[in-house]
This record gives sequence, C-alpha cells and structure tokens, in this order.
Amino acid sequence: MDEDATAGYREPCAQCAAVNWGISEEGRFYCMSCHNVIERTIEVVDLSVAGSSNRLKSIAKGPRTSKEERGYTWLVCEGFQFILKNQADALLRLGVDPNFKEVLCQMWRLYLQKSQQAYTSDRLRGSRFRPLNIDSDSDCATESSIVSERESNPSSFSEIDSDCSGSADERTPRRRNRLMRMRKTLALVHLALVWSREALTLSDLLRLVRDGHVPYLNAYEQFPEEMKLSGNKSSVFNTKSIPSHRLVHKVAQSLVLVLELPAFPPIGPENLLHPAMLSMRYLADANLPDGLHRWVCSLMERPQKSKRDPSPALPRHDVQAAAHIIVTMKLIFGLDDHTEWELSNKVTPHDPSENLFSFRRWFRLMGTALGRAEQKRDRDMARKQWKPKKPIILRRRLAGRAMKTKRISEQLQMCFEKLSSSPAGVQDVGLSSFRFCWGDEDGSNGPSLHHMKLDGVLSLEDDVLTPLNSSYWHPGLRRCKLMHCQGSAPGHYPEFEPSLPRSFVWVLRLFSFLLDVEPCYLFQEVLEVERRLVGSRLPGQRNKRRLRNRTGKEEEQQEERS
Amino acid sequence: MADLDDQVRDFSTVKNLDDGSDSSDRSCRKGHKSTLPLVKPLSVEMDKETGFRRSVQMCLEHIREAMLRHRWQEAADYMASYPQILEDRNGATAVLYKEVVWRICTEILHHHPRATMESCNITYERMKHSGVKLYLTICLEHCFHLLLNGQMEEAKQQLSVAESWRYGKESATQHHKVQLIQAYRSLLDYIIWCDKRRTRSKNNPFDSDHQDLHNYFRQASVHLQEILKSPGVWDPFILSYVEMLEFYGDHVEALNVLNNYALNKRFPPNPNAHVFLYQFLKRHNTPEKKLIKVLKNLHVLVPSHELMLEYSYFLLQSEKIGDSQKALGVLLEMLDFACWRSNLDVWRCLQAVVQDLRLRDDWERIVQEQMASRQDWWPVLHFTSFHAAKDSKENPQLWKVKSSLLKILCPGRTLGYSGKKR
Repeated sequence: MDEDATAGYREPCAQCAAVNWGISEEGRFYCMSCHNVIERTIEVVDLSVAGSSNRLKSIAKGPRTSKEERGYTWLVCEGFQFILKNQADALLRLGVDPNFKEVLCQMWRLYLQKSQQAYTSDRLRGSRFRPLNIDSDSDCATESSIVSERESNPSSFSEIDSDCSGSADERTPRRRNRLMRMRKTLALVHLALVWSREALTLSDLLRLVRDGHVPYLNAYEQFPEEMKLSGNKSSVFNTKSIPSHRLVHKVAQSLVLVLELPAFPPIGPENLLHPAMLSMRYLADANLPDGLHRWVCSLMERPQKSKRDPSPALPRHDVQAAAHIIVTMKLIFGLDDHTEWELSNKVTPHDPSENLFSFRRWFRLMGTALGRAEQKRDRDMARKQWKPKKPIILRRRLAGRAMKTKRISEQLQMCFEKLSSSPAGVQDVGLSSFRFCWGDEDGSNGPSLHHMKLDGVLSLEDDVLTPLNSSYWHPGLRRCKLMHCQGSAPGHYPEFEPSLPRSFVWVLRLFSFLLDVEPCYLFQEVLEVERRLVGSRLPGQRNKRRLRNRTGKEEEQQEERS
Repeated sequence: MADLDDQVRDFSTVKNLDDGSDSSDRSCRKGHKSTLPLVKPLSVEMDKETGFRRSVQMCLEHIREAMLRHRWQEAADYMASYPQILEDRNGATAVLYKEVVWRICTEILHHHPRATMESCNITYERMKHSGVKLYLTICLEHCFHLLLNGQMEEAKQQLSVAESWRYGKESATQHHKVQLIQAYRSLLDYIIWCDKRRTRSKNNPFDSDHQDLHNYFRQASVHLQEILKSPGVWDPFILSYVEMLEFYGDHVEALNVLNNYALNKRFPPNPNAHVFLYQFLKRHNTPEKKLIKVLKNLHVLVPSHELMLEYSYFLLQSEKIGDSQKALGVLLEMLDFACWRSNLDVWRCLQAVVQDLRLRDDWERIVQEQMASRQDWWPVLHFTSFHAAKDSKENPQLWKVKSSLLKILCPGRTLGYSGKKR
C-alpha cells in the first residue's frame, strides 16, 4: 500500500475486506487485492502554484497577544516628533549644520505650546494610540516624560513662556488638533532651514524628499516596535503625494503666523541662501554664461518697494532668484521670438574663436538636455512605488484582505521583475544640487557655455555696457481683482500662455524644471519682479513711463550700469 | 478621499458643460454634485493629480503605449511597477483595476519571449483568488490558456474546480458563466473521450476501459444537452455531441439535436448549422428531397457556399420542371461572388444547366430573366479582355467554357472576351 499517496486511508475494501489501497493513473483509489475501484480520488496538488499560498500564515507562535502587549500608549504629536527627528537626522547626514536641529526642536516645542498639545498647563486631550489590549500603566510614563522635558530645557526664545496657557485664538480646539499633518513636518523643516540660513532651498528640500533621501513617504514605518498604529486616527500618517512647493510655502506661511515668529534673521549677500548667490547657482545649472550674473545682481539691487507684503513674510529666495534671471534674460535677449534670434545671427558669423555666447546654440543644447531630463523625470514618476510595506489598517476586520491584496501585488511584481531588466521603482539617484552637468567629462549633458562672453549682445556706449536690445515687453501687470483669482494656483497663466512668445515660455519651462515648480507659479513671480521694475501704477494715473500693453513695446531708459 | 471627490466632481462639471442643458448649467453655477451618471475614473485624464494617482496614471499610459507598439520588454518593465494600484483602497474601482491588471499581465506574458508557463499560471491563480466577481471569468480564461498550450488534463481540472465553486449571491448572478464553464468542461470530456477511443481501438478493450469511455460520454452529454437547448452559436459543442451520439448509435437523438439547432427560430441564423445537418443526412443516406430542402435553407443564408454546387447538381438531376431554372438561379448567384470566378466546375455546371434549358422553348426568356439585373456588371466581372488573356494562359478549358456561354448570357453585346483560339 502506498502510504504516502493514500495518506493513511484505512477503510476496508467493500469486496475483499482488505486494506490495501493504491492510486490509479487518474488518481482514483483502487484495491490492490481485488482491483475494485472506489469513488474516492486523491487531491491533486498542483505544485507549481502551491509555492506561495494565498492563505494567511500565522505570524507568531505562542500566545497571540504577547507581542502586542509590549506596546505603550502614545500621542499623535509624539509620532510626528519622531518623524521630525528622523527628517532632521537625515538632513544632518547630508551636511546641514547641527544648529539647524536645535532650531527645529525649538520651533516644534513652540508649535506644541501654541497648539496646546504640550508645554502648557491646560493640555488638550489629543488622539492617543493604545496597544490592542488596553494597558493603562504606560500612560503615566509618557506624560511624565513630557513634563520633565518642559522643566529641564531652558529655551532661547524670549517669547516662550512655559507657563503660558493657550493663546487667544478663535480656532476651536478640535480643529487645532486636526491641523498637524504630514505636510506640516516639511513646513517646519523648511522654516528651521530658513531661520538657520542654510543654503537648502524649499525646492531642494522637496527634491530630496522625492528621491527618498529625507524620510517623508510612509515615514511611520520607521516608528519603533512599541508604537503601534491602529484605528481611525492613524490615517493622519498616510502620505499619498508629496506636497508641491506652493503648498508647503503656504503652510509654512501660516505656521509663521501661528508661531508668532519675529522677523527672520537677515541674509547677507555672502550667504549662499541669498538670491544673488542662488542665481549664480541657477545660471551655472542652466549653462548660461557667468557674465550674466552681474546683470542679475544689479537688477536685484533695485529698491524693493513692496507695499502690500504682509509681515513677516516668508521669503522665497529660490523662486525670486529664478524670476530675476528670467527678467534679466528678457532685458538682454528680448525673448520675443525675434530679437534673440537676430542677435544670434549677428554673433555666429563674426566669431572665429567661438567665444561669444549665442542664444541659438544655447537653446539647442539646452533643448535636448531638457527634453531628455523631462522624459527621465516622467519615467521615474511612472515607476515610483508609493504603497508602504506595512499598510495602515484602519479597521481590523479589513486587515486580512489588505494583507492578501498586498501579497498578490507583490507576487505579480516579482513575476514581472524576473522578466524586466531592472527592479521596480526608481533607482537610487545620485545626490547633487545641480540638475544638469556641463563640461567635457563622460556622462555630462553637453559642453559648458559658462566661459562665453556676452560681447555679442552688449555694446559699449558712453563707456557704459548696455544691452543691444533696447526694448522690453511685458504682459498686463495689473493685479487681477477677481475673488477666485486671489492666490489661486494657476492664475491667468493658462489663458496667457498661447499668446506669449515661445522662447519666453520655453525659458519659463526650463527654470520651472530646475526648481520643480509649476510654470504658472514662476510666471507669477516674474510678474511681481516686473511690477517692481516697471512700476505697478494703474494706467490712468500720472506716470512718467507710459505703460502699454504687451503688444506694444516700451522704450526704457538705459539704466543698466556696469 | 477628498482628492477623489474633487476629481469626480470636476469631471461631472466638465460633463455638464458638454451637455449644455439647462439643469446642468444650474448645477455648474451652484457647484453641486451632478446627478448624471459618472464615468468610471479609469478613463478620465486629470492633469492636476499628484502623487500616487499621477504615478499610476502615467504608468498605465506608458504600458498602453508600449503594448500598442508591441514593445513587450518595455511593457514588462513598467508593469513591474504597476501592481501597487491593487492596494488602492477605493472600493468602487477595485474590481475594475483588478480586471485591468489581470488582462494586461496575461497579455504581456503571452507575448513576451522570456515568459514561462509558470509565471502565467501564477498570475492566473493570484488574480483568480483576489476577488469574487472575476473568479469565474479568470477560470475560463485560464483554461483556454492551458488548452492553447496543450495541457488538457490541467484545463479539465481547472474547470471542475470552477464548476463546484459557490459564493452566495455571486454564483447565482453569474450563472451564465457557470453554464459556459460546464459546457467547456463537457467539451474537454469529449476530447478525452476521443483520445481514449483512439487508444482503445489499438489495444484489446477490456471492460473497465469501456466503462470509463462511457463514463466520459455520460458526463459530457449531461451538460452538452443543456447548453444546446439555449439559443446561441455552439458549433464545436454540437459537433462533438453528434459524434459521440453517432458512435453509440443514437441517430434519432442526433437528428433531433441537429434539426433543433438549424431550424429553431430562437437560435440565431447559422449557416454552419445547416451544413452540419446536411453532412449528417448525407452520411445516413437520406433521400435527395430532404437534402435539397436543407440546401435550400442554406442557399437563403449563404448563396456563395461551396455546397451550392452540390445543390445545383441535385436540382439538375431532379425531374421537376422548375428545378433547372432554379439551378440556373443558384449558379448565377454563386458566380456573383468573385471567389468562384475561376472555378471550372461551376462554369461547367452552368454550361450543363444551360444545355438542359435549351431543350425547352422559352429558354431565352428564362435566361434573360435571370440575367436582366446582371447585364451592367457581369461583363466587367467575368468577360473583359484581361480575363480572356488570363484564362487562356492559365486555364484554357475554362476559357473554352466561358466563351461558349458568352453569347448566351450576354447576347447582343460585343465584349472583349475573345482571345487567341488555341
């Protein structure tokens, strides 16, 4: 009798009463003594698919709640504190000054105080995460830890008063509690970076987050074992997307108001965060000649008459620098689909040494590099993996199904990874402040144009270098007063865009790729710069320079002094 | 799911604008959710999506692009990053995405040069058990895939498992699929029966094998009978059933089934049904009258069928007076189709019919009656000088036959169909 095959079937045969079973070819049981075939068949196990079964395997042997009992009760703000700490550590590893971490810590404590989650005498009951069996003695441990921190840490801010009870804020406490979200961590980090005058701009920070060097996406996975996520409130740690530049800036701006920060420490022109230095960086990245930097700086030095800015405004140095570069290019090259090409035509035949900067050559070089880089960005975007390894389960009864779906998705992924040449998800990207690499080495995007001279587009008149291009165009600069346009994301750019000169739109696209912002956002900043440059008085009022619409050209005084 | 709500609301607003009706304008202005049926988000292009949604959208577009251009390696690369869509927790689109993922995966695996049977099997198994609504469909497709690769036994086993699947309301609402599965399982039983019969005839048959064979027949016929009662196109099933019935000598039942299939008004008109019936009757030596009747039905459906030639032979040989005329009609209708243009048999038959008709007095009138509607285009179809050159080169007998018919069919016209007399 085949013991293995019949798996211990011991009924006596109906005809001969022997217990001697075998398996026929079709899988039926038959009695080996009298060849009587019975109805029983063997379960055919298809080994090829039994490899990884769909059933939930038991995770731990032993009592079911033994691991879960080790957890403790923790608050939402503790979770965010943990995430912030991880983010700060990552930035420190990337080379940021350690002072930044201190600043971040202070800001976080200030936020906790202002939102009445800690450091205050009447603390709001925030959401708590309890382990699955309610264990109440760990409650005291966390409370005492917060209290001890409050007592032991003298703050350097004179405004923080540790006995201050909640400020007079009209927001209801419940709304206040819901305000802490994942994107606020980025906003806080950005505020701390700006305060400590680190050269890491918001677009750099967001790029680091996108490439995974700074934890943000599914950051809760790095929580220690004891902090368990369960229940409805845990969806606050869900990250479905990386917030945009505009959004983080808005959140940071509102945080400044909540925290009631004083004016930011001023940034001198030697500091790398200053727009003048940033513009040098962007000029290098965009393969523009270094000689342009002087013009950008002189543009920036014009008096900044901002009448409407709320104070203290959170400065956007990166966007400002890019906008100034674009306006400078407009001043020098025209960017109206005629002037720049004519200037290039003038340059090329008279240039035996190939030392003069030609817009056409730059455009072609940059065009191919930009196209390739955008394609790579889209490919990486398509292949990015967003789903966490340990999904947040909102309701326990859905846990089984969620894990099963996860297993199915992983197995399908493995199937296709075997076929494909590269693993799923984006490859590890090298760290660099620059999006492009110009020079003669292998792997560069093209030859470098930094050393080229601008003599082709400038002329010497009265001992003063002036651009050959003597006209300047701009779209209507009056601010739109409609309600839904105030601060809305695209503004009127999508309507303007088809009628703007193509070279301008392309330059806008280039710089928005470098900064990873939307072109409409950059366009609004360019409009701001132009308003300051040209004067935003409404037509109809007396004004020395007559403002005309963009179809007309405006004569401008030759103000660029070298 | 605030972003999904926005997306859905935005799309419904867009749809309203397309409609342009009054009520939709009102709802646009107030910003209410539309009451129009919403399109499933899978087909909506929304540029302002970010993050996870944007990633999977772009991934899907890349996959689709690669598949359309048959770049299977690229499609497999992107597909490796796509299954994360299954973990999306939106219940409304979950089934949709499962189906999309399943179909794309199997399509890529069918075409990719390095794909193995095992990976196909794994895909089918995983997606089968991922949900309830798709289980039966995927089972059936898996079985087809196994059949394509010649794995009959596994296919049969899959279908048996699927047949016994029960899931409350789902299995009740999908009973059509269950019927299909049963029918295909019966077909597989038939195939195994065929194999067994073939092997059996080589060896000495002993009882258990015969019993076995009969078992398969019994299992197969249960469901085949069922499926053949409902209207539809069941060609392979009916052929297999009839073959089995003939083997066991049950001709009456076979004839019933075939008649039902061909003549029942509820079934869609199917020329093959008549062909099967005709072939069966021919095998069993039925009188010509019945054969003619069947072929008449077929003639109505498909005038250009190759059996029409046999039909016209029957008509020619019959003694009824009007039949030669009918034969003429049948042959001319056959020749209306370009596929019979160079067929010698058809033309010869036409020649014979015409000769037969000439015995009558009013043969000219009869011929003209039939050819009246064809005078415009038949010469161009058959009797141009190009045809003459071709026929005289390739098929001189055809040329002879055609030229002899020329004057009769198209009298009074000078046509270019003359050629060099051989």
